[in-house]
Amino acid sequence: MLNYEDIIKILPQRYPFLMIDRVLELEPGKRVVAVKNVSFNEEFFSGHFPGEPIMPGVLIIEAMAQAAIVLFYSGEKAAAKKTKYYLGSVKVRFLHPVIPGDQLKITIEPIKVISAAAIVKAIGAVGDKEVAAGEISFMAKAA
Amino acid sequence: MMQDIENDIRNLVAEIIEKDPSEIKSDARFVEDLGVDSMMALEILAGVEKKYKIAIPEEKLADFKTLDSIVVIAREYLSKNA
Repeated sequence: MLNYEDIIKILPQRYPFLMIDRVLELEPGKRVVAVKNVSFNEEFFSGHFPGEPIMPGVLIIEAMAQAAIVLFYSGEKAAAKKTKYYLGSVKVRFLHPVIPGDQLKITIEPIKVISAAAIVKAIGAVGDKEVAAGEISFMAKAA
Repeated sequence: MMQDIENDIRNLVAEIIEKDPSEIKSDARFVEDLGVDSMMALEILAGVEKKYKIAIPEEKLADFKTLDSIVVIAREYLSKNA
């Protein structure tokens, strides 16, 4: 398991854009399960939407992408410290809204990983319910 | 069979780069003529691997220059599997 201190050693993102709080499972290069705790205190809920707080789908994608970086980093081709990551394409379907109090659990599995890029399968779930699922591809560039 | 592979890969490429299959001539240059970038090339490689259940090494990505070149590579790895 990785806690926030371990996570910030891997991810270049920082507040207010750290979208995973903990990594529950990590099988290097094979599987990552990460968690984002969704609190009513999140700033975006005040505008998305007033009186009807729903986590923006783009932020669910961001959480998936960050979990995917953990998977990429954990592979044998561990990234350099100052690596930057760029999303290439996103194909994600949203199945149920994510609301305050939910614990968004993200599972990432590789479809194709090469030294400087990856395509992964991403699934977001709250409890037993799948809330988002799809594919994300991204590139890694050493700074 | 030879023709099938070419057509199947053309359709696969067309879907990934969001063009009509008819635009993808067998010798059209991916980067210069069709605007394919490295991320799309990787998606094409992953798509070909999945479709034919083959593994194409990363180094071959640089040879993904035209539809023709992918067909040649796909056949090479298909025959290795056979």
